[in-house]
Amino acid sequence: MAETHASRLELHDLQLAQANRTVLEHVSGRFRDGAITALVGANGAGKSTLIQGIMGMLRPVKGKVRCTVPKERRAWLPQQLALDLTFPMSVEELVMTGSWPSHGALTGYCARHYRRGREVMARLGISHLAHRPLGELSGGQRQRALIGRTLMQEAELLLLDEPFANVDAETVEVLMTVLRDMAAEGATIIVVLHDMEQLARLAEEVVVLTGGHARWTTAQAVLQSQPASVGSARLALGIPGVDA
Amino acid sequence: MIDTLLWWLTSPFEYAFMRRALAACLALSLTAPILGVLLTLRGMSLMGEALSHAIMPGVAIAFLLAGFSLPLMMLGGVLAGLVTVALAGGVTQFSGLKEDAAMASLFLIAMAGGVTIVSLSGNALDLGHVLFGSILAVDGPTLGLVALGSSTVLVGLAIAFRALVVECLDPLFLTLQGRHAGWTHALFMVLVVISLVIGFQTLGILMAAGLMLLPAAASRYWSQRLEGMIAIAIGIALASSVVGLLVSYHAGLPSGPSIILLVGLGYCASVVLGPHRGLKTGIRWPKRVVPSRQAGQLR
Repeated sequence: MAETHASRLELHDLQLAQANRTVLEHVSGRFRDGAITALVGANGAGKSTLIQGIMGMLRPVKGKVRCTVPKERRAWLPQQLALDLTFPMSVEELVMTGSWPSHGALTGYCARHYRRGREVMARLGISHLAHRPLGELSGGQRQRALIGRTLMQEAELLLLDEPFANVDAETVEVLMTVLRDMAAEGATIIVVLHDMEQLARLAEEVVVLTGGHARWTTAQAVLQSQPASVGSARLALGIPGVDA
Repeated sequence: MIDTLLWWLTSPFEYAFMRRALAACLALSLTAPILGVLLTLRGMSLMGEALSHAIMPGVAIAFLLAGFSLPLMMLGGVLAGLVTVALAGGVTQFSGLKEDAAMASLFLIAMAGGVTIVSLSGNALDLGHVLFGSILAVDGPTLGLVALGSSTVLVGLAIAFRALVVECLDPLFLTLQGRHAGWTHALFMVLVVISLVIGFQTLGILMAAGLMLLPAAASRYWSQRLEGMIAIAIGIALASSVVGLLVSYHAGLPSGPSIILLVGLGYCASVVLGPHRGLKTGIRWPKRVVPSRQAGQLR
């Protein structure tokens, strides 16, 4: 590919449908490696559909998703994760499951894995919660533990659906730092965002979903094209905001 | 006094059939609760219970062909269970609807068919044996099969344990890994079927899932760790098996219901007394306010 940016994730004339109703069509583009791409659009614009398509959970009607990231290095944090909070598992155990794909089903964790697990928890500031059951965590702590699992997984493709919803301010800061670091290390990160301020701070590239189509642009362009007011930026993008 | 107790505890096992029954129950108690814990954590307790009925047609057909031969009936049960699981999975895949409706429908059909087949050939006594278990009929070869089945379940669990736990906690995570997800689920269902078939001859088809699910459900009230839950569930199952057999011998009660009633007692006690989410810890009795002069003065 004679392009300036390498890309392990490309969409070619993708058409996606939910229950026989086309949600997105003629979606073509590439997600830059080592960059954080924000996915924005109004409710029902097809953000979740696109993520499902990229993750291979939804078979395209037409076109294709070309992804060269191996499956065990792909991670997805849906907004409503079907995670059983009464499950008898500690934070450390949850983080450690991230290493499971890399060493197979038969062998157990070795000291190296536990060391890495502790590093990951320290990086996310959840070391003191290591032995706490999942059910006792706050929303922010749980989100950190889940990001810890993707770090453990050494994810190279990370899709996050509104990772900062119902999360405390401190966790937002920690997660933003970690996500930027992951991108700097070469991971391709796609984040569904509703908040212009978070978009400005986190994303370099933006994919805007409107009217069943996707438009690639940069965060700078999106922000410059908007007046200073954050509320009107939401309106212009057709993004419902709490204070729009 | 001690002599009486010793007699009560040991005299039943002077009989070979009671020793075999005990061995079969212990083998089941060591393995079924582990599967039960995983089933309850997946929210599939009722599915396990329904699946226990699905082995009925296989058992019945074996009975029709070979009479009351437990090894053949076990084989038939395993085959019927696997076919039903595969059919339920297939119907679900095909229609895209939830698996529980397909399972429930198939299990009802299986149960009705099985009872019809048994009653065509045998008499009410045989049907009773199949439905409620007959521990006395466990012979040498059957015990061998029980041991083989339990060992298979243990080995299968040992191999796939981490995958099973990960799938339990977050199925999406395992699916995204692209490998093991389908196999993990299939292996798990196979192990459950094997375990249910082991259970059916001691506990009967109606209660085959009893030693699987009741101890597991009870263990949640005692531990918040998976290992702890499994250990407690196995402990409850082992104790109930031994005591249940003794009670059934001395009181002349059917063995299956005796064992299950004892596990049930353990479950009820756990719901009330368990330190985690138990009623005793859950209910905050309002502190009795003692009207004191001081309080009055403060006002």
